[in-house]
Amino acid sequence: MGPAMRNEDLIREIEQFLYCEARLLDSRRFHEWLELFTDDVRYWMAGRSNRYPKSSKAITILDPERYVEDDVGREDELALLDESKETLAARVARLDTGMAWAEDPPSRTRHMITNIELEGDDAGAELKVYSNFIVYRSRAETEQDFYVGAREDLLRRVDGAWKIAYRKLILDQNVLTAKNISVFF
Amino acid sequence: MLVEPTQLVDTERGLLSRRIFIEPEIYQQELQQLFARCWLYLCHDSQIPLPGDFYTTYMGEDPVLVVRGSDGQIRAFLNVCRHRGNRLCRAEDGNAASFTCAYHGWTYGNDGRLTGVPNLREAYHGELNRDRWGLVPVAQLDTYKGLVFATFDPEAPSLRDYLGEMAWYLDTFVDRREGGIEIVATHKWVMPCNWKFPAENFGGDAYHVNWSHRSAVTTGFSVGSTASPASGNKAVSPGQGHGLICIGADAYGDAPLPEIQAYEREIRPEVEARLGPRAKLINPIVGTVFPNFSVLRGTSRTLRVWQPRGPDKTEIWSWVVVDKAAPPEVKRAFRLSGVRGFSPAGTFEQDDMDNWQECTQTCRGIMSRRVPVNTQMGLGHERFDPALGAWASDYGFSESNHREFYRRWAELMANGAAANGTAGNGAGDA
Repeated sequence: MGPAMRNEDLIREIEQFLYCEARLLDSRRFHEWLELFTDDVRYWMAGRSNRYPKSSKAITILDPERYVEDDVGREDELALLDESKETLAARVARLDTGMAWAEDPPSRTRHMITNIELEGDDAGAELKVYSNFIVYRSRAETEQDFYVGAREDLLRRVDGAWKIAYRKLILDQNVLTAKNISVFF
Repeated sequence: MLVEPTQLVDTERGLLSRRIFIEPEIYQQELQQLFARCWLYLCHDSQIPLPGDFYTTYMGEDPVLVVRGSDGQIRAFLNVCRHRGNRLCRAEDGNAASFTCAYHGWTYGNDGRLTGVPNLREAYHGELNRDRWGLVPVAQLDTYKGLVFATFDPEAPSLRDYLGEMAWYLDTFVDRREGGIEIVATHKWVMPCNWKFPAENFGGDAYHVNWSHRSAVTTGFSVGSTASPASGNKAVSPGQGHGLICIGADAYGDAPLPEIQAYEREIRPEVEARLGPRAKLINPIVGTVFPNFSVLRGTSRTLRVWQPRGPDKTEIWSWVVVDKAAPPEVKRAFRLSGVRGFSPAGTFEQDDMDNWQECTQTCRGIMSRRVPVNTQMGLGHERFDPALGAWASDYGFSESNHREFYRRWAELMANGAAANGTAGNGAGDA
């Protein structure tokens, strides 16, 4: 079932929620951003491997039964972030120490959120939301990075407000071209 | 024409010319004199456990294919097709009986032999001797406790001799329990700095922890065991440019996660029994095997290679490791501490990048380059400690390991005789 068949008001509401979140991040209002997450959130970012698919003629596979062609990091491997509410809060607290050198002076970011797609029961308390992101980071004098990827969120209605109960991020790079990941997504 | 390295490195006075961090000619000399001669780390054998398993990496800037043949033997080759020089294997890992070049379809077995050449009879008139055009192997390959190393230099000493006393120190990272270690996560990323900054940092810079990384210590990501120079802390140089930062035998350096703390208490008798009496004297936390392989236990457990990519660029290839015998919840805790401490987003590691970048970039200035960097901390206050089998600083903060690293660097950079004996100009072969 695609978004076209859904309640337009709900789609707009979720879009506004995600855009507001992006604005909080770009304004470095990290404490308010933290409030958007449930206490039991898992927030993690998978990387991408560089593997031949099974159909590739570049290799003749010797041991097809063990061959792994999936190139998205699984939950137990290649995570670039794997955070709880507690560790997200600690990361924000670290930025407040005045000694978090990767963000001092701060990076300038702009979060572009697109391809928003809803899945799940409109009337339910939880909603799965897909989106894509481009995060532009300008740093120091002329440094620029683009972090590009996808998100899978589970949003939960808590006391009338949406909260993020689960967020999976997929970063579409194999060797990350940025020198670090010191911003949030 | 080689640059004379004694003009660049004065370890007696603790002075380094900043030219070594930026000049392209010196970098090219490093590729020849260090990376084409030293034993370099390739991968861990748990990444290629069964026949056909392969892993692609680099030795210096040379792409290398490491593959366990159908016969079970690990081999490593230049990952370069012998026909037009195309990169043969473009995947980072996998399993293969054979590899076929994407350009014209030359095919090589997982033992490196050239097995297939399209139109061999018609186009080459049957005159191409396939036996002579297999993949180019490394000169020597050997493993130490599951760590796979290779060198391009047939005259290089054995791996065991190259490591020397460093072998015991490596044991404290990879042989703490029966079964050794296994890889649970891989991180690769690019940083705009000279490769020697991270290599010297992991090899002996306890001094930066209390300032560069204080934010991560005060917010609970680390116990900061190397940040304060407690009485047991030492910079230790086992020779040949290798170096480590060690804490006291009873000090705790792992991540402050309860699962890990309980685990370390529980396994300590087994660890001490395996490592022997020296483990009651000292606890190695982080170190560098010359030139560009580092090991880490403090805060996160990783192995990493600082892949050189030009004088002002380095790729970090980092692997989070766990004791193979650890229970699943402990492995999970180590994996999380790796992601949260030392990775592109690691709360420790992200703060290193701008420092190493700017230490490199400021060398571009002609005046900045004329001013040597100070490597004098603790000069003359190190001594050989027979119980440690190594030179050790008398204080937790010292640049004694830096001086050993650069002493070795200068020695190898100057010694040209055996450096490219096998390299030639590449045209005389076959």
